[in-house]
Parts: sequence; C-alpha cells; structure tokens
Amino acid sequence: MAEIDTLTRPWLGDYETESGFDLLVTSRGSLRRRWQPLLTALERLDPDTLAQRVEEIQRLLHENGVTYGRSADDPESLRQWRLDPLPLVITPTEWQGLEGALLQRMRLLDALLADIYGPRRMLEEGVLPADALFANPGFLLACDRLYGKRGPALSLLAVDLSRDSEGRWCVLADHLQTPTGMGFALENRIAMARAFPGVYRNAPLRRLAGFLERQHHALGALSPLTLDQPRIALLAPGSAHASHFEHAYLANYLNLALVEGSDLVVRDARVWMRTLGGLEPVDVLLKQIGDAWSDPLELEADSLIGVPGLLAAIRGGGVGVANPPGVGVLENPLIAAYLPRLCERLLGEPLAMAGPESHWCGETAGLAWALADFERLRFQRVDAGHAISEPKTLSPAARAALREALVANPEHYVASRPLEGATAPFMTHVGGSLTPATFNLRCFVQARYDDHRHPAGFEAMPGGVAWQGLPGAEMATSQCVKDVWVSATSPQPHVSRLRRASQPFVVTRDGADLPSRVAESLFWLGRYGERLDGHARLLREAIYRLMEQDQESLADPALDDLLRLLGLERGLVDPVQSRFQHDREQLLSLFKESHPEALPNLLARLVANGRAVRDHLGDDAWRVFNQLHQEGVRLPQAGIHEGRRAVEALITQSAAFFGFCNETMPHHYGWRFLDIGRFIERAMLTLRLLRVALIEAPQAAPEADGAPLAGDGLWEVVLATTDNASAYRRRYRSELYPAAILDLLLFDEGNPRSIGYMFKRLERQIAHLPQPQDTPYRSDEARLLIRARAALHLADLDALAESALLPQARQALSILLDALAEPLAALSQAIEHSHFSHAEAPRQLIPMQAP
Amino acid sequence: MSLERETDFMRYRVSHSTRYDYAAPVSLCHNEARLTPRRLTWQLPEPTRLTVTPVPAVLQTRRDVFGNEVNYFSVQEIHQSLKVTAETCLSTGPRPQPPAVGAWEAVRATSRERVACRPYQLDSPFVARHAALRDFAAISFTPGRPLLEAAAELNQRIFEGFLYDPGYTTLATPVLDVLEARRGVCQDFAHLMVGCLRSLGLAARYVSGYLETRPPPGQPRLVGADASHAWSALYLPSWGWLEFDPTNGTLPGERHLITGWGRDYGDVPPLKGVMSGGGSHALEVAVDVEPLAVDPA
Repeated sequence: MAEIDTLTRPWLGDYETESGFDLLVTSRGSLRRRWQPLLTALERLDPDTLAQRVEEIQRLLHENGVTYGRSADDPESLRQWRLDPLPLVITPTEWQGLEGALLQRMRLLDALLADIYGPRRMLEEGVLPADALFANPGFLLACDRLYGKRGPALSLLAVDLSRDSEGRWCVLADHLQTPTGMGFALENRIAMARAFPGVYRNAPLRRLAGFLERQHHALGALSPLTLDQPRIALLAPGSAHASHFEHAYLANYLNLALVEGSDLVVRDARVWMRTLGGLEPVDVLLKQIGDAWSDPLELEADSLIGVPGLLAAIRGGGVGVANPPGVGVLENPLIAAYLPRLCERLLGEPLAMAGPESHWCGETAGLAWALADFERLRFQRVDAGHAISEPKTLSPAARAALREALVANPEHYVASRPLEGATAPFMTHVGGSLTPATFNLRCFVQARYDDHRHPAGFEAMPGGVAWQGLPGAEMATSQCVKDVWVSATSPQPHVSRLRRASQPFVVTRDGADLPSRVAESLFWLGRYGERLDGHARLLREAIYRLMEQDQESLADPALDDLLRLLGLERGLVDPVQSRFQHDREQLLSLFKESHPEALPNLLARLVANGRAVRDHLGDDAWRVFNQLHQEGVRLPQAGIHEGRRAVEALITQSAAFFGFCNETMPHHYGWRFLDIGRFIERAMLTLRLLRVALIEAPQAAPEADGAPLAGDGLWEVVLATTDNASAYRRRYRSELYPAAILDLLLFDEGNPRSIGYMFKRLERQIAHLPQPQDTPYRSDEARLLIRARAALHLADLDALAESALLPQARQALSILLDALAEPLAALSQAIEHSHFSHAEAPRQLIPMQAP
Repeated sequence: MSLERETDFMRYRVSHSTRYDYAAPVSLCHNEARLTPRRLTWQLPEPTRLTVTPVPAVLQTRRDVFGNEVNYFSVQEIHQSLKVTAETCLSTGPRPQPPAVGAWEAVRATSRERVACRPYQLDSPFVARHAALRDFAAISFTPGRPLLEAAAELNQRIFEGFLYDPGYTTLATPVLDVLEARRGVCQDFAHLMVGCLRSLGLAARYVSGYLETRPPPGQPRLVGADASHAWSALYLPSWGWLEFDPTNGTLPGERHLITGWGRDYGDVPPLKGVMSGGGSHALEVAVDVEPLAVDPA
C-alpha cells in the first residue's frame, strides 16, 4: 500500500470493482503505479479548476463540431456525450506487448489478403474453409488478383480491443474498409492538451503527430508514379455521413483533398478530380467508403458514391488506393474464428493476441461446441450486417427460434464466448470519485515506407481512442470517450509536435484545383447565408411591429407588406383581436419546419453546404458556424419573444461567420464563390424589397386623397432591414425623401447595401474567376453584369424619384427594377453552368440489378 | 463413317454487334465486354476482333476469376451512339462423353470436397437455393437414381414444361417467378436449372455463348437473326462440367459455342457499362453465327 499517495486517495473513494481485472487497482485493492503521477497532477487542481477544465474540453469539442458517429442535429445526443478528463494509461511494457501483437495482426491480415485474392492456398490446404470466402459477402470476385504487385496490400488497420477478466488483451473487431477514428484520437489529444496543459506537458507520453506525418508519407508511397508531391485525396461518402467530421478533420490535418465520388472521374485509366481549372490527376486515394460501393462498373452497380472504372484504374497502375477494395472480406467474424490456425500457417508463429474463442457453426465440431454451451454464447451472422444475438438476453421463444435457425442453417453463424470485460476508471462526474466500467480501445496500424518509398514494415499508433461500454459496443453508442496515453520511458519532445499538430503542413491549397463541388457548395453557402440573414431581418422587423402595435388600434399597414415579403398570408382586416393572433401565428410559422422558407429549413440548407466544405473554412469560422447551427436547432420551440431574441442571434452569428470567412479564408477562388453567392442573393432580396416598397405596396394601398405616400411605413422597413436607417438619418435626418432613399439603396456604390455596390463587387469577383480557355470574348457572367450595371448607370434618378409620388409614373421604376433583377437570375445560372459542371450521376448501360 | 466425322467438326464465324443510340450526348463511358469465345479442348477460337466506335481511349484485357476474357474499354469523346462488335472464327468438335457417375447423392457428397466448386454450390446474386426449386427437382432426383439420368430428365422437363416467352421476363425476374409462371427465356431456364441443381446440393454453373440456329428446310439463313444463348453445366467430380441446355432440352454439342461461365448471368454479361449523360437509349443487338466450310484436313 506504500504506493498510494495521500493525494490520490480521495479519487478512490468507494472505488469497487466486481470484474476480475481492473486497470486502476489490483485485486488486493492497491492503486496501480502508472496512475499515480496523473492522479496526483489532477488532484493538484482544485475541484473548481478541474470542473472548469472539463467544461473547457467539452466546449472545445462541441465548438469544433466533433460529432463522431452521432447526429450533430440532435443536441441531446451531443450533450450526453463527453470526453473523460482521465485518459486510459498504458505502460511502456504493456505497450511493447500490445504493439507487437498489433503489428503481427497487420502482417497476418496482409498475408491472408494476398492469399485470398491470389493463389488461395489456405483454402486448398484446408486451413480456411471454402465457405469462409465464398459465403462471405466481403469477398469480391472482381478484386481477384488485384493485390500483391508491390509492397503490402494493406495500408491501414483499425482494431477494437478490450481486456478480459484476467487482464489479457482481446481483439473484438478489425476495421479495414473504412478505418476511422484516427482524426478523433488526434482531436481528443489536442483538446486534452489545451485543457490540461500542465498535466499534459509533464507526462512523459508518446505523441501522435509523428504517426500521422508518416501516414502522409506512406500514402504518397502508394503513388504509381514517382513524384515529389503525389496528389492524395480522401474519398469520403459525403457530408451527410456520420464520420464526416473525422474525414474533414483528417483531410485537413494530412493536407489531402477531401473528395466525394462525384468529384472524381476515371479517364485514361487514371483517376482525376474535377476542379475549377479542369481535371487534375489524383495519384493516391485514401478510401473511406465501403468496398462494394467503390466502383459501379464492377461492384454494386447502383452505387452513387463510387467512381466508375476505379478497379480498372487500379489494375492499370493508374492509382494507388489505401485500403484497396476487397479488404472487407477480412472483417467477417468467420475469418476471426480461423486466425489462430492461419497465423501458424502463414507466419509460422502463434497468434499473439486472439479474440474471444469462436467457432464457425458450418463445421460439425463448431456446431457441436455451439449447441453444447448455447445459452452462454453469442451468435453472429456471417452475411452482411453481421447481426449479433445472445441467447441469454432473449425471451424463451426468441431463444428457441435462434436455436432452430442455428440447427437449420448452421453455416450462417459464428459462435463465440462473450468477453467478461475488465474495468477501467471513469470520471463520471467532476468532483466525485472514480467509478469502474468496462471499456473498448481502438488502436491503429499502418504501413511504413522508407525515404525511397520501399516498404518498411508496419507501425502502430502509440495511442488511440477508448470508450465506455460493454466489450464490442460501438464507439458511436458510447456516452464517454477517453484519450489513450502510452507512457514513455523518457520525456518526449512536445512543443513543436503539438504546434504542428494543430495546423496543416502546407498552408494553402485553394487555387484552381478547388473541386467544382466545393466551389458549388461555397456558392450556395453564401446564398443561403444571405437569404437567412435577409429573412431574419424582415422577421425581426415584423415582430417589432407586431409587438409595438396596440392590439386595440388599427393595424400597421407595413406589417401586411412584411408578411407578403416573408411569403406569408396577410391578415384579415377585422376584427383587430383575431388579426393580431393571426399575424402572430403566421410569424411563428417561420420558426417551424413545416413552412418551406422557414428559418430552420434555410438553416438546414446552409448547414448542409457548410459541412460539405468544412475543410475549407477556418476554425474560428467553423466555431461560429456551429453556434449558428445550434441556435437553429432550438428555433422551433421559440415563442414570439424568444423568437425575436433568436432572430437577433442569427443575424449576429451569420455576420460573424461571414466576417470570419472574409478575414481567414484565403482570397482565392473558394472565397470568391462564397462572396458571389452572398451578393447575388443580397441583390435579389434588396430588389424584391424595393419592388414591394415602391411599386406593390402603394398600388395595394387605398388611394386616399392627400395620402399618396401609402408605402411610408415600408420606407422605414426598407431602411431598417437593409441596416441603412442610421446611415440615412445621418444624412437626411428623419425626413423621407424618395430620391435620397433611391440614391442610397440603388446608386451609392460606397454603401455596401446598395445595388450599385453589389454589382460592382460581383463584377470584380467574376473578373477573377478562372476562365476555361483564353478567349478574347467576355464570359456570359461578365456580359450579364455589364448589362445590369448599364441599366443602373443609365437610369435617371430625378425622374424615378417622382414616380414614388405619382402612381401613374411607377412604370419607369418598375422597368428599371426588372432590368436589374433579370440579369441576376441569369447570372446565377451562368455561374452554375460555367463552373460547377454538374457531374451527371453515372448510369448503367443495362441495369444489372439481380432480383 | 466419314459422313459422321464431317458433322462432328464445325467451323463458324460469330459476329456479335451491339449498338446504343442515346437521346443525349454521353461524355464518358466505361464498359466491360465478355465476348471472346473460350479456348477449350473441343473449341478452338482464332483471335477475336473487337471493334468499338467511337474508338476507345483505353482498352485493357484481363481474365476474370472464372478465367473468362474481359475487355475493359472507355470511350472518352462525346458520343451519341456506341457500337461494339466482336467477330471470331472458331472450330468446334464433339464434347467428351461423361463417365457413368452413379447415384446423385454420392456425387453430392464428393462435389462438396472440391474448393473450386464451392462458389457454384452456394447462392449467387441471381440464383438462390430454395425449397421450391428442390421440390421441383426432386421429381427427377429420386433416391438412388443415377445422376446423369436424373439431370437429363430435369433438363427435358424444363424444355417440355416451360414456354419460351421473350415478353414475360426481364433480367430482374426471380427464378421462383419463372418456376411459378412456367415461362421465360434461355437465361431464365439456365438459372432455373442451376437453381434446382444447387438446391439439391450439387455444383452447377451458368454458361454464356451462342447457338447456331438452322433455318427451316428450303429457306435461306437469316443473317443477324441469331441471339446470344445461355445454358447450364453440372459438376461431375474428377471429370468436369457436363452441360445441359434446358431451353432446347438437349446436351450441348458442337453447335453450342462458349464465351464464358460463372455463377449466374451477373458474372458473364456480354456487355455492361456505366456512362455519364445519355438520357434514355435505344438498343440494337445483332448476333450472327455463320457456319463456314470446314478446311479439308
């Protein structure tokens, strides 16, 4: 008991574990030495500071939008999930054993893969039953002989582990098709280091940055051509996928282009990326989509996320892929049951780290084993989905049904002994003592290449991600994750690595090689951002007017026009009471998702486009973007008062977001598309506002004598929603001069809210866009803007100002507004046509779908 | 004797032409053609001439996991029609005669042992084993009956009991529907036969190729009126694959020309592709199996 420092004693409290093995205390109840420095360091922080730091971690992760495997749209699920301030500690000796076992597993899987898609000796020799392949949905016939030309077939492996009740490490699952989690491990580490700088700095622990730096090198080594700077892209399923955060994070960290299938095209048996500047070659793909979906020509024909011709490009030596399609065969539980034998045969050594004992029931002995101990085993299906059943958790009827299904089709099942998990300490709430819980650990292994790009074995990441849960529970379902600290025997360099870890290796890559899809998303991000802002401003104005209006008095005519501008039904004239209710409900409907132009819907489209370009936004912009999103999630619950506050917040946050974009995004093509989107939308909204204020409202108003300024109320609205009220007042006090308002909103190129300014800005941005060829002619976009600006410049301000006073002369103004608005709609289309080159979804020549 | 020999050896020129006309331009297409006849002891093809219009930018040839020749090609210029023609001259002789193999149950027990046969015993995307298929087959596969006799009878029952009806089925029609409706085309009958044999635990595969059709006596041969054909084959341990043509109720002979085989149609479509653009398309296929004079030996 001498090793228990008095400082660490409070942590233990009533720490009692019922598992056979606990990572914190020995079976005699004494603290394992490895935890002492860490617990002592944490104890030195007083409870308030600790609570603050824990809060800080959550804030960092939350703001960065860390959403591994859970929906960012469900704030509840995000709130429940947290990063434990207490990492999982692994000692150098323990790591040595674990590392050796991980590397052996990688060598074994690599050798097995080469055999499975090559000579299949293991089948002929009977080491692996034929059904382990031919009844294995992960075995892709099209990938036969795709492997083993140069270096290892496997580049990356993610392994889920746990420890059993005797403390032995056990393998629970291998992830090869989409080996995710590395970005998550890194993000956790950075959050920990920022929240606990002292603890982190003083701990002699192995760093992660080197592993990821070498990953970049290893990926580059897969390039079929010897290039100084091979072009590497991360092929992801898109921003709607649960792992999108990690894909964007990793792509950014490793400086890879983040692409989706539709960004890529195979030509000349090579892979190319569709960019603004045309097709750019891609030498290496880090594949993060399922094998079967990666090539609709040879694999799942109805895949929309794959790249037609990818397998032909791989075969033709046109691209290197990590991991190549076909590796999913190894993820099947059928394979795990035979790994001990395969290891002996393929590597000539015993398997260092096995999974729980498991048997394929397709073999007589396996079925006998499964039936003998049926109640206590777990059964996993070998077909796609790998569904798991545990008899002990089933009702008697379901249990009998499972047994029946097992006897009828034993070859569909792998039986295994459930793991009695060891426990690890978790800090479930700050200030309390630690509690023991079962856990899972994900480790990572990758291929190494020397400076000459020759294969140099494998290496394991000294760290990983741990999460609370029964052995085998998925990370995404866990409430609590942990950083994993592999202790070092000597202090590790820390300063430069961490600094480096928070930044990409190369500062910018935002040029003509910007994927067209990214440009398109940025354009729509701008448009929806501005539309949200415009709607929010109108809504704010409408709420003000509704609240100011005395419920007894006559209705404010401007409110009608605001409702019209917001696309809402206008109220009945009588009675006043019900009219108030009506307008209120109409306005509130814009907070609900049922209305197509409601704020949550605009926000959802904004968020979808923002997520798709996560790797192109600065961290600050992204943080504000997440706040904006979280604000939006609460909108539907808002009443009229909260609604006003929420609208204010949306206006501020969207301004902050675009402000950060302007300040932090390199002013290259990506930023230009964002800006063009914003100003096209803003100009459209402003023109519509002017049309309602100047043309429609006066027409609709009763033409009472002596009241020609029926749109008066709306003038204020126009000034307020364009945020020009103070600019106007400064110049003209509170007198309403139509000519002055028109000048301010149409012609004054110095006013960022004027049409003149917007056109000028659009023209400048469009002049800088890449042109497909050197042509002496102006692009369609440029011509449209010239037309719009000419209409504006040729307008006669004095004559137009009259029109506000003379209903019969509104015609001229109406024509002008049309002449300004019409080229804008055409401009948006022209930009889409010239720059976003819609990749049509590939289609099959003959539908090859099996019944 | 000499007369018989003349009919045993045949020479053919096979031409298989596919033309797609698209409603809208196609900017890029990737395709795989399995149009090259296989080299077998009884089938000797000369090199195949594959002509693609527009000229493909990439053409790669490989063998798939079943040993079939696959030609991958991509057309990278904008086109509104695609024409793929494969022409091959080949000679064929009689197939080897199968040995007597005894009761079908004994064969089932031994065919499971061969690893390479296993894919042909399990379910595949177009053909899954099913009790209804087994029951249908069981009428011929009575206990202890010699395998070849039973299989030949099954082949004959499909030929006699099913209507050849090109309008009824599509590629996506499940085998069980074919069994129920008693109609279909050669692919359906080949899948049905394969499904029946697999449901009994035997190894069976799908064979893709051509059949020389002979005009009615006194009428001229129509050029291009032939079609690609499909039939099935059953694995006989320590001998090989014995073919059955349930569409015609025959054992394939020198008039059956083989381009490839696999677990089912999905493994050996003559042509498949993925394209960008194109809209709807019209398809025209012309197959011609022209008998040639046999070179005097």
